[in-house]
Amino acid sequence: MEGHGGMAKKEKLLIIGGSAAGPSAAARAKRINPDLEVLMFEKGPFVSYGS
Amino acid sequence: MVVRTPQQFKEMRDIDVKTEHRVTKIDPKQKRIEVLNLSQSETQSIAYDKLIIATGARSRRLNLPGSNAKNIFTLKDLQDGIRIKNYIDEKRPKQVAILGGGFITLEMCEAFRLRNMETHVFCRRDLPAGNLEREISEKILKELQENGVYFLTQHEPAGFKTNSKGEVTTFETHKASYQVDMVLMAVGVIPNVEMAKEAGVELGKTGAIKTDFTQMTNLANIYTAGDCCEVFNLVSQDWIHTPLGDIANKQGRVAGENAAGGKASFPGVVGSAAFKVFELEVAFTGLGTQVARQYGFDVDSQIIEAESKVGYMPGSKRIFIKLIFEKRSGRLLGAQMTGKEGVARRINALAVALHQKMSVEEIARLDFAYAPPFSAPFDPILIAAEQAGKKLHS
Repeated sequence: MEGHGGMAKKEKLLIIGGSAAGPSAAARAKRINPDLEVLMFEKGPFVSYGS
Repeated sequence: MVVRTPQQFKEMRDIDVKTEHRVTKIDPKQKRIEVLNLSQSETQSIAYDKLIIATGARSRRLNLPGSNAKNIFTLKDLQDGIRIKNYIDEKRPKQVAILGGGFITLEMCEAFRLRNMETHVFCRRDLPAGNLEREISEKILKELQENGVYFLTQHEPAGFKTNSKGEVTTFETHKASYQVDMVLMAVGVIPNVEMAKEAGVELGKTGAIKTDFTQMTNLANIYTAGDCCEVFNLVSQDWIHTPLGDIANKQGRVAGENAAGGKASFPGVVGSAAFKVFELEVAFTGLGTQVARQYGFDVDSQIIEAESKVGYMPGSKRIFIKLIFEKRSGRLLGAQMTGKEGVARRINALAVALHQKMSVEEIARLDFAYAPPFSAPFDPILIAAEQAGKKLHS
């Protein structure tokens, strides 16, 4: 996405952690601003596993 | 347990998810993070405009001789659960020792007993669920014992003896030795804050990340949510660390909305939770007697027992309720409840009462839905509040 000729650079949100708070934050952020680039990092093999 | 997969995140919401990627460093000056791809051992630097720290918490482990043995488990996430299940399926352990007397322990007792494992719980305090009122904890202890769990108190863990395969065979306390072939350490969690702290993110007095009602940290463009950060308790008016999944989801929504340019806030919690120990439901909200006193409240309490439904209805069970309230005003400060039916849902009415700062006298006059299959004309909550109200003017 970065540096595409002439296009305004997308704002980027990074999220550290993919258990419960991370996925909720990612989904909400994207809903509020669909143009936002959202990238979530999880150290384990699963996401959304929280309880 | 797994609500969504990375592919679903991408397809449904255009969110990129990188699993097996460990973030190793936050650089708030350059607005960059360092990410280690665990499968390829490669580190990458990525720029952000906004960052959300949702690093969660990890199980605390007691550092004792032999405590790295491969049949000593902790339980925090899905992977831990899979490891425990696989070990039981493969090795068929017969004797498990659980260290700690909290909610994880209580829920796992049922799982182990269902597998016919001899289950010993070692607890520093004299009762299980030591954060709850004694009268509630006593009921929990009785339920454990009736289901064949051995609950041992005042044992100071000393260490583990292992065999040539690196498996624990004996658990030793300062009093005695116990033959075991599996151990579960359930002695609490620690918030994962080290990386944030190193980047200059401020921690609160609980050791978790300090935040505000918008889930901001002290650093610009960095938000936090979930088990790694604090949450405001509306009853004590204090920031606390109470790592629970529902709170994490709610804080996450607010952090996400604000990071995306919105204006959301999370006002806090009253401290509600529920769990099940074999057939016994346990639920609580607000402050316990001791904590309320520590915060300077002049505390009184009222205990009642009542039927969950009209007595002649099949399935009606005894419900035990303790209300904790302020002496002069009668303002409700907390409630704890246990019984084999109708407990976990019922506590929510009292959570609402705490949010609204209601007095026990006001609660006693609430109009609850009534029909014989669901409750009695005087619901157990109304009886408890009525009894509590009488104490105010005596």
